[in-house]
Amino acid sequence: MEPAIETNALTKRYGARTIVRDFSFAVHPGEVYALVGPNGAGKTTVIRLVSGLAFPTSGTVRMLGHDPHETPAVRRRLGAVVEAPAAFYPYMSGRSNLRLHADLAGGVPAARVDEVLEQVELGDAADRKVGVYSLGMRQRLGVAAALLTRPAVLILDEPASGMDPLSLHLVHGVLRDAASSGTSVLLSTHHLDEVVAYCTHVGIMEEGALIDEVDLRHRGARVRVQVDDLERAQRALAAESWARDLSVRGRDLVFGLETPTALDHVAPTLASAGVALRSLGDDSFDLRAYYRERVEQERARRTGVDGRRGADA
Amino acid sequence: MTALLRMEIGKLGRLASVRFSAVVLVIFPLLWAYAPGIFDVYGFFLVSGFQVPALALLSSMEFLLPLLIAIACAELIGIELNHGTLPTVLLRPVTRAQWLLAKLLVASIYPFLAMGFFLLTSLVAGAAFGYGPFVGGTGLGRQGLLGAGTMLPIDAWREVLQAYLIAAYSLMPIGLLAVLFAVVLMNAAGGALATLATLIVMQLLIVFPAVTPYLLTTQLSAYVAPASPLGWVATLIAFYCAAFAAAAVIVFERKDF
Repeated sequence: MEPAIETNALTKRYGARTIVRDFSFAVHPGEVYALVGPNGAGKTTVIRLVSGLAFPTSGTVRMLGHDPHETPAVRRRLGAVVEAPAAFYPYMSGRSNLRLHADLAGGVPAARVDEVLEQVELGDAADRKVGVYSLGMRQRLGVAAALLTRPAVLILDEPASGMDPLSLHLVHGVLRDAASSGTSVLLSTHHLDEVVAYCTHVGIMEEGALIDEVDLRHRGARVRVQVDDLERAQRALAAESWARDLSVRGRDLVFGLETPTALDHVAPTLASAGVALRSLGDDSFDLRAYYRERVEQERARRTGVDGRRGADA
Repeated sequence: MTALLRMEIGKLGRLASVRFSAVVLVIFPLLWAYAPGIFDVYGFFLVSGFQVPALALLSSMEFLLPLLIAIACAELIGIELNHGTLPTVLLRPVTRAQWLLAKLLVASIYPFLAMGFFLLTSLVAGAAFGYGPFVGGTGLGRQGLLGAGTMLPIDAWREVLQAYLIAAYSLMPIGLLAVLFAVVLMNAAGGALATLATLIVMQLLIVFPAVTPYLLTTQLSAYVAPASPLGWVATLIAFYCAAFAAAAVIVFERKDF
């Protein structure tokens, strides 16, 4: 399946400072991809590069097969909120703002405005001026504006910003529904709990680089082993077709299984490779811990010192 | 493009600078119409309502009107920056050029709207003097305010309307220059100030007689004393407008948001 969003070696520099470096990723239809990372990691810049608001210094962006700069018409199939809180004309009502967006997008039936307002539960406040909206209401209006055109691609920068738990739950549901109907969703966030709740993929960013990607769909069917020789164990398991997505996490080896019965092969395979198995168990995936570990590892690698100084989450 | 243009025209009345200008353009002609010391300072009496629009224009074209136009046109960009709505609009399937062209079009229309309003308020302010035949001139013809005998209302109307129309046209490039600077600086106040600084520098360039006929500031007096034939002045102003608009589009096309 062709990715709806794809970047290749995307790099953005402002003067001598590199904000995004060599960033390659893809989001396919039906996927919800969350960019997470400490403040200043470059998440918002990636969102702006992908949506065509900023120009890459090098590398490419493709949205539904097109460069959004060369083919602005592709934005007809894009719904995006790149400001937090979502930006609207404060002197106009929520409904009037959405009508304006519908006019600019073209081809949006008048009834669709009411439909998306109801979807984000702003029907009662639709005729109030946006200037009196709370932060959470503005964010929900932003999501409504993004959904207006029934987009194939949804891009949201910090959609949870300023939302109360009920609004958050509502918006999660809306995004999950959009993804289940084939929309590709890309969002940036600091809220790792919300990510686990409804995202399919997580991209961890640090200092402008994508340092890791996690496929959350497979997080439940994974095994974690502790061994005396990590490298030898990795080589042995990599040679087996039933072991998938091998990754090193700290001093452990984590991998998925082709079938649940493949678990019976783990200990014999390691033993025949001369590796002592210290422990074997389910990998209950803790995104928050994983994120901290990966960011700290990356900082330590970059600076050559232990980076355990607490990454923002 | 129609939706964009409709949206931009609708925003004009929301601009603080446009509202402020409207207040100034109401008060300013009243000052002339009811100034008690006008004879002591300038040596003449107002004898016709037609002279109020003339005096209002003569006394504001050098600084006040360019200032009001520059601030309002820079705010056309500034309102989007203030509300953060620029990226929101650009994420819709409109090209950057289309969006900016709508702004530039409104910036081109605005001097005509402002001058139309100014003429109206000036005429209202001068109503006490009447609009019948009078002895003297409007101040906008060759004979100045003293005139050459009796002036008929039809001739006075023609002079006043023509002067306001030419003045509005010569203010057009100032509005477009303000948009250009606001786009370059991504700041409305900066855009307006840069425009005024440019005009002040241009005014100083009159010490180079060879360039004086080509200066934008020289054309600001075209409504009463054109430095060159009106056709030439119109072409030069059109050239300035095209150059400023093209530069704004080129800069805007490569801006990061």
